[in-house]
Amino acid sequence: MKRLFPWLILIVATAGICWRFPLFHVVSLKRATEEKAAATFNPATFAEKFWSEKLLKSLDQAAKADELLSAIQANPAEAKKKFSRSVGVSESYTYFVSGKGRVVTVSEDEIALAVTAGATNAEVALQTGLLFGNAVRDGTGLLNVNDYPNSQDFNAISEALNQLVETRVQPKLREVAKAGATIRFVGCAEVNDESTDLKPLKVVPIQTGTN
Amino acid sequence: MKTYFNKLTCAVALAMVSMFIAASAFAADQPSAKQKIAVVISTLNNPWFVVLGETAKARAIELGYDATIFDSQNDTAKEASHFENVIAGGYKAILFNPTDANGSVANVKKAKAAGLPVFCIDREINSTNDATAQMLSDSYSGCVALGQYFVKVVGKEGKYAELLGIVGDNNTWNRSKGFHSVVDRYTNLVMVAQQSADFDRAKGLEVFESILQKNPDVKAVFCGNDSMAMGAYQALVSAGKADKVKVFGFDGADDVVKLIADGKITATGMQFPKTMARNAAEFADEYIKGKRDFQQKIPVKVELVTKENVSKYGDYGKK
Repeated sequence: MKRLFPWLILIVATAGICWRFPLFHVVSLKRATEEKAAATFNPATFAEKFWSEKLLKSLDQAAKADELLSAIQANPAEAKKKFSRSVGVSESYTYFVSGKGRVVTVSEDEIALAVTAGATNAEVALQTGLLFGNAVRDGTGLLNVNDYPNSQDFNAISEALNQLVETRVQPKLREVAKAGATIRFVGCAEVNDESTDLKPLKVVPIQTGTN
Repeated sequence: MKTYFNKLTCAVALAMVSMFIAASAFAADQPSAKQKIAVVISTLNNPWFVVLGETAKARAIELGYDATIFDSQNDTAKEASHFENVIAGGYKAILFNPTDANGSVANVKKAKAAGLPVFCIDREINSTNDATAQMLSDSYSGCVALGQYFVKVVGKEGKYAELLGIVGDNNTWNRSKGFHSVVDRYTNLVMVAQQSADFDRAKGLEVFESILQKNPDVKAVFCGNDSMAMGAYQALVSAGKADKVKVFGFDGADDVVKLIADGKITATGMQFPKTMARNAAEFADEYIKGKRDFQQKIPVKVELVTKENVSKYGDYGKK
């Protein structure tokens, strides 16, 4: 009995340690799958939440289109300095812009508007075709690359936001955009570099309506 | 004689004091006696990374440091060993081109724990609080532009292949996803093969030869970097199909830029390795001199290079 006692103590101590610090946990497959899904970034869910909770509430921050267009006309470099934003080291930049204009032409991929007083030519082209690029993600300045440890997540947001524009904004816009109609719009324009032709300014619409 | 001796002593002493003051003033402008900066590069088996490493080293030397390049040979274990040597070797900063977005995080954490700032160049690590700053190629957006050009010149239908880079590297997927975010919207453009060639020219040749044998009717190949594009182009030359299949690369390597000018390769994305490397070295210098508030991730735009604008590019950047 005396010889067994130390062994008993050792077994109890080991059992106690294993109970306190288990070597493994048994988790149901369903729970494990749910936990993995919760930890994985879902760009569609993120974009949906961002769209309704932040983006639509920030539309009043956009520059006035007639003011921006006049500034670009007068001095593109000064307009860029005053109204644009850019991400990182880049010659490209974005404008966040709102306004209204008269529909001049309608094509498969864009709806051209005359915006400034007395204009008859296309000054803004609302994009209604397939969308690529980061105009909506970067245009408002609401999203910051530094908040995303993996840049693949940040990039996936662009695709998800473009998808929302294609499914929610473009179809309604195409319905109402007839030549001569007045369209209100808020959107973002991505300018590749200073040699880019800004006549018209290509704007990805976020919200549109008629007057 | 004594008076002369006293005068000479005074002159020598004055000269010594002047030299001491001058040396102190000079030292205030310069890093103290050749501090060391390490440049740890994922691989030197690719000219693009050689340019990245050599430019970072050259800029560090210009700024008054001793700089040494360490080649990780695309192996996180070798990279870990370099970090241990750098930490033990009294270096003041690391300019770092990681081998693996996840696998390299531990190495950066070690350096941070040892008080060493790490500045990532070109490739990122999946962490926003370990590196001091990360100067990254915006590969995704570059490949969105490349994808749009691909559709424009290849057309909206046909078969194509893709050569991927290292599977564990975020750049591989940022490039592939950027490209597919465009091309996949055209359902008649069919990808018949997608295989990794590890960003390597020899593997690019080997893998694309095999793809060509099974799919002789591909119209184009999108390669995740220019080394693989050169390998794919070589495979096409050997098969006598160089003028039938369009090759798209990514990096802006000099040999590919020249082949674009000659009309042999269709397009690439210019990544500006020299800009990134110089900026990273300058960040390290600023850190050593006391600056601490660095933006964590700084994307650097990638520009589309095609036959229409190739004259503007060369020497790993814009002319």
